Amino acid sequence: MGMMETFFLLATEAHSEAAESGGFGLNFDLLETNLINLAILIGVIFYLGRKIVTNILIERRKRILEEIGEAEGRQRQAAEALADQQQKLAQAQAEAERIRKEAEATALAAKESILAQGAKEVENLRKKASEDLNTETERVLAELRQRVTELAIQRVESQLTSVLDESAQQELVNNSIALLGGNQ
Amino acid sequence: MLSDLNYLTFTHLASLEVGHHFYWQVGNLKLHGQVFLTSWFVIALLLVASFLATKNIQRIPSGMQNFMEYVLEFIQSLAKNQIGEKEYRPWVPFVGTLFLFIFVSNWSGALIPWKLIQLPEGELAAPTNDINTTVSLALLTSLAYFYAGFSKRGLGYFRKYIEPTPVLLPIAILEDFTKPLSLSFRLFGNILADELVVGVLVLLVPLFVPLPIMALGLFTSAIQALVFATLAAAYIHEAMEGHGGEEHHEEHG
Repeated sequence: MGMMETFFLLATEAHSEAAESGGFGLNFDLLETNLINLAILIGVIFYLGRKIVTNILIERRKRILEEIGEAEGRQRQAAEALADQQQKLAQAQAEAERIRKEAEATALAAKESILAQGAKEVENLRKKASEDLNTETERVLAELRQRVTELAIQRVESQLTSVLDESAQQELVNNSIALLGGNQ
Repeated sequence: MLSDLNYLTFTHLASLEVGHHFYWQVGNLKLHGQVFLTSWFVIALLLVASFLATKNIQRIPSGMQNFMEYVLEFIQSLAKNQIGEKEYRPWVPFVGTLFLFIFVSNWSGALIPWKLIQLPEGELAAPTNDINTTVSLALLTSLAYFYAGFSKRGLGYFRKYIEPTPVLLPIAILEDFTKPLSLSFRLFGNILADELVVGVLVLLVPLFVPLPIMALGLFTSAIQALVFATLAAAYIHEAMEGHGGEEHHEEHG
């Protein structure tokens, strides 16, 4: 009971003090401000909460680190793949360029050979044509000659039959004989 | 009525400073100064924490940044659970502010020895043990969910009042009043009751005995912050969804 009374006394005293002061101020009454309990409570919370919160935060940090590491790994892989593919692309482009050049060269060669061949063929044709022309000319000429000869002979024959009658033949023969032995 | 608690049976022992306020006179308004002081303290605490967390942002978070990111993730998941994957993003700041402010207010009331500082009248305590604070928070929530409903569904928002059947119209209208009412009174009542119980116990038995109640108070405070934020998010979701069928009313405490 004695203790209780002290409490009452303390409390009333503190209260009356506070009521009297009536302005801003600090109250350092341990019991009335509940300081001890609050200190214990804060201590306990710090002690328990700190561990839990620290664990959670460490866990979180670790998880983030892992995720970032993973993401970075993936990024590195992707970059590698990209470089790889770029290299392949460059290779393919070089290959394409090479093939194109080769094709161009082949095309050029083919063109030239075809041109040459064409030229040769044209030449051949021309030669053949001229040959043909020549032979034809010759043939035609020969034909003409023959025809002319035939006509001439015909004409001669016809004239002969008309011109060379008996007396003329006689005369001719005589003339020829005269020619043979005319000087005698 | 509350001031009656002031001199219970222990008039001669000490007074519980309920219903006493440290008034500031601004124009015709009487402001509860102690609420402002502690609110500013809480706001400053949150601002400082945010500032410290974002001062030197690292890719791999550590220390304060890590902690605040964890808190943000918690709030995001809360909003996502209530509002849904699609719509929750714009509401994270609102819900998060509610949660953090209420949570830090409650815990500051329960953990910081405010009574070290003596005011001319009244005493410093959690801002949420003043009905004005909780009513303002609840009204903000009402505004938020009306805004959410109108911005999402336009005038079609009103259809939710007669949606299942027009018979329920009075109840649907009543709900708009009971929501902020229940939000504010739940928070106010819990925090005030907790602080009163602790205060009374401290008066009766100053040492050690109040400790379990104080620990319980910490727990309730955290739960109340969670409940307030969750319900706010749920109301916002409901306003955007319509079909007021599924109610998320889990009355805690």
